[in-house]
Amino acid sequence: MHSFISRHSPSVLIFMVLLTPLAVSAQDATISIVVDRTEITLNVNQTTRLSAKVLDASGRETDIQTRFYSRSRTSVAVSRDGEVKALKSGTYSIFVRASSPEGQRITEEIRVDVLYPPIESVTFTSAPEQVYVGTRVPLNPEVRDVSGQLRDDVDVHISIDNPSVATVDAFGHIVAHETGSVTITGQAEEATSYVIITVIPNPITDLNLSGGALEARTGDVIQYSAVARNAEGEPVQDAPVRYAVYAQPDDDLGASASAQIDQDGRFVAETPGLYTIVASTGKLSTESSIRITPRDAARQIELVGKGIVSDVHTSDLWVWEGVDGRDYAVTGTWRANGEAYFWDVTNPASPTIIDTVAVDARTVNDVKVSEDGSVCVISREGASNRRNGLVILNCTDPHNVTTYATYDEDLTGGVHNIFIYDHHIYALSAGRRYDIISIEDPTNPHLVGSFELESVGHSIHDVWVVDGIAYSSNWGDGVYMVDVGNGVEGGSPSNPVVIGHYVYPSGWNHAAIPYRSKDTGKFYVIAADEVSINGKMGGWVHFVDFTDPKNPKEVARYEVPEAGSHNLWIDGDRLYIAYYQGGLRVVDISGDLMGDLYKQGREVAHYFSNDANGHVPNAAMAWGPQVFKGNVFFSDMNSGLWIVKVQGDAVPDSAL
Amino acid sequence: MIRKNLIHVILLGLAGWSFLTNTVSAQDYYVYVAAESDDEVALLRFDGTNLEVVKTIEVGTWPNEIEGPHGLNVSPDGEFWYLSIAHGFPYGKVVKYKTGSDELVQEVEVGLFPATIAISEATGFLYVVNFNLHGRMTEESSVSVIETETMTEIERIPQGIMPHGSRMSPDGLMHYSASMMTGELVEIDAITLEVVRRLKTGSDPEGPNPKPTWVTPHPTKPLVFVANNAANQIAVVDLEKWEIVDHYETNKGPYNLDITPDGKLLIVSYKGAASTGVWDLEKGEELALIPNSRAVTHGVAVTPDGRYAFVSAEGVGGEPGAVDVIDLSTKELVASVDVGKQAGGIIFWKMTE
Repeated sequence: MHSFISRHSPSVLIFMVLLTPLAVSAQDATISIVVDRTEITLNVNQTTRLSAKVLDASGRETDIQTRFYSRSRTSVAVSRDGEVKALKSGTYSIFVRASSPEGQRITEEIRVDVLYPPIESVTFTSAPEQVYVGTRVPLNPEVRDVSGQLRDDVDVHISIDNPSVATVDAFGHIVAHETGSVTITGQAEEATSYVIITVIPNPITDLNLSGGALEARTGDVIQYSAVARNAEGEPVQDAPVRYAVYAQPDDDLGASASAQIDQDGRFVAETPGLYTIVASTGKLSTESSIRITPRDAARQIELVGKGIVSDVHTSDLWVWEGVDGRDYAVTGTWRANGEAYFWDVTNPASPTIIDTVAVDARTVNDVKVSEDGSVCVISREGASNRRNGLVILNCTDPHNVTTYATYDEDLTGGVHNIFIYDHHIYALSAGRRYDIISIEDPTNPHLVGSFELESVGHSIHDVWVVDGIAYSSNWGDGVYMVDVGNGVEGGSPSNPVVIGHYVYPSGWNHAAIPYRSKDTGKFYVIAADEVSINGKMGGWVHFVDFTDPKNPKEVARYEVPEAGSHNLWIDGDRLYIAYYQGGLRVVDISGDLMGDLYKQGREVAHYFSNDANGHVPNAAMAWGPQVFKGNVFFSDMNSGLWIVKVQGDAVPDSAL
Repeated sequence: MIRKNLIHVILLGLAGWSFLTNTVSAQDYYVYVAAESDDEVALLRFDGTNLEVVKTIEVGTWPNEIEGPHGLNVSPDGEFWYLSIAHGFPYGKVVKYKTGSDELVQEVEVGLFPATIAISEATGFLYVVNFNLHGRMTEESSVSVIETETMTEIERIPQGIMPHGSRMSPDGLMHYSASMMTGELVEIDAITLEVVRRLKTGSDPEGPNPKPTWVTPHPTKPLVFVANNAANQIAVVDLEKWEIVDHYETNKGPYNLDITPDGKLLIVSYKGAASTGVWDLEKGEELALIPNSRAVTHGVAVTPDGRYAFVSAEGVGGEPGAVDVIDLSTKELVASVDVGKQAGGIIFWKMTE
């Protein structure tokens, strides 16, 4: 016999056994719910009341109570007795539930359509008062509803009253044919708007394309400038100029699109070949060609040394010159035993563990060392008493590391990442904010400030501080630049002040680091994703131009297919990326940046940290890089500490 | 369909009667336990002598982040198990799995650091306390209510600071949990989804917060028992009077509770004492104190026949977690097995013979 009993059954069973004869007749009866309406349509903020009754098997009304519940409570609210209020446009579901005394539970669904607010306006945001004969100008209609929301789900019908003067193409551009005046009408639902545009004679007699170059490398951003002139040779400032490019890549064996040009005239190519840039206005056009050669960025990379950690996963690292002049590193451990390892890396060919600090934790996710090399801070997650926080260590003698203090005030939920800057620790409190803790006296750490966003569902993953500016990575809230002592916004550790922020749509923002290009003067925040896609790490590196911190713009990316970005380091004009299963990546970020740097051949080197004796053998999972005295140190989750060196010698083409 | 269910109920009743009268028959007991620091759930089988890990189920979706599986429960029909995943960006989630095959069915985002899960047989809803371990300990949190067929969060009921220990009344009509940092027992109507009553759980309402961490209702009497973790007490609350009628002074750190189906024994995990207490509820006396095999005792699940208590123990640092089996007749630890790190949430699934 194979019997089954559920967790809650014994007391119920006794009850059921005793009541079995009664239960038979009771359960034979089938109840049903009748709702006054199974579909309702409401406007936003409109209310209505639903009613329901329960019938027995013979159709007689019972006194069994019904209760209403919403499946989208933030969009359509319902009280238990059926008072409905529409909160947000869309289609939703309410259900009503009743239970018979015998435990029979029945449910009825009610569909709720909450209408979108009516359209209030259509505006042609880029329509000029005048256009030149023969030119084509976008109109960019913008639709708003009565609640003031921008709407992109509404068709806009554009008509024009005098098609011999101008027409509108399928993509909302006005195409000017001859002089005259036209009235353009935009209609979205019941809202209508008009704009009068005058088509005037085209004065442009010449279009000149300057700038550019005869030859450049893949990834070089080349600026072109087209100037339209009238018969007198004067520039026509408002001439609509368009840029395009066509390509003859050297590799024409099914090659994909290989170059792009922005409408500000900046051109970049991914693959070598002959490219022709075309500038046009009206019926005039002009061209200029450029030969693109291989970037030749690839360099040899060689293993210097490695300290394989076989028994546990490794987390972050920090490398520093100790107060005794020797070189040291510290690495953390992940989902392990709460240990941090201190290494002597003076001879990087032979990193040696010289001390181990064990704390009550399962994960020491982050490790950082003060600028003077005397204070080390490690973070704790998985403490057995659930008081995680920080452990502040005296690493003046890394052979004999001692504890200055522990600090867990308001950090008990776990600290994932930390940074040390100017005698302060910036510590994440379990994904919601970062606290700023003074360690001017490391035996007496104390809170001086805190930074937390106010958005609904805000979350944070990392913080990095350079020149008094904290760069935090906030998942869906993107990158925040915060003045914590730089002075640009009057901020300080006790008074952090936002300088600017940038959100990208994926919501995967995991790490961020600043970079100022010596070549261009542009200031970037380089942001790395972290994401699991079907259980495999993915994501890429975003280059956000923060030169004007109030108007940041994402301009480039570096994306290794089928691997996942993680932590970053910058040294000179090279970006070092721990790219999880993609190993260590070294990228040339010199000059202007635009497009996909990976496809442009800007990768200088990569190194797969595979080791047969790793905790997970032969499986690179690079966590964090740091350049130190000419070598690249990086930690690998599966194998420990690695030291490599990028050589000056170019990699021969045949090896690529 | 109804008739089929009735027959099923009768069979279950007879089977249950058999369990209650024939205590010597060989049984296999199945239990799920979550390892919070290893992102895995283990299915265990105990045959009365040997305890073994039948299967380890990896949970969570981020291989390189620890997501923290915490609370567990099994649907009343035994067809599904539910798991709270504490860590998110920032919200946690509840995930529904099929028992036996352990395939993921569906998941739903809830509040901050969801922890203990209760399921009402009467309403069909799942109730999970949003413990918000990550927040400042001054932030009010909530209980999320989930309609389990579609895994839709239908309500988030404000409750108090750091709610924990979600359990239903035997009739499934009331939900009880403790607000750890407000020191309260909170009663929620499982149908209207409204807080009905609140009660300070300390022996001195003006005294220090006893930090209650768990509530378990008595199976037949109008009583609930509250683990006052910081006060080393069990508060006995009379639901009809809505007042504390007794306090049991306990060992250090009473944390989770469960009661045998006959209502005679209360099993207490002592998180601060690495041990489990067995209390006689009629006498209000502790009958036995059984050391656990790891330092941090966590959860308790009593088998439906009242013969055994399965107790999870977290361990410290790199130590594996463990599940101990206590024979409630001899009050002795009779079996133990290692599971993943920080073993916490534990729930009984089924008995077979």
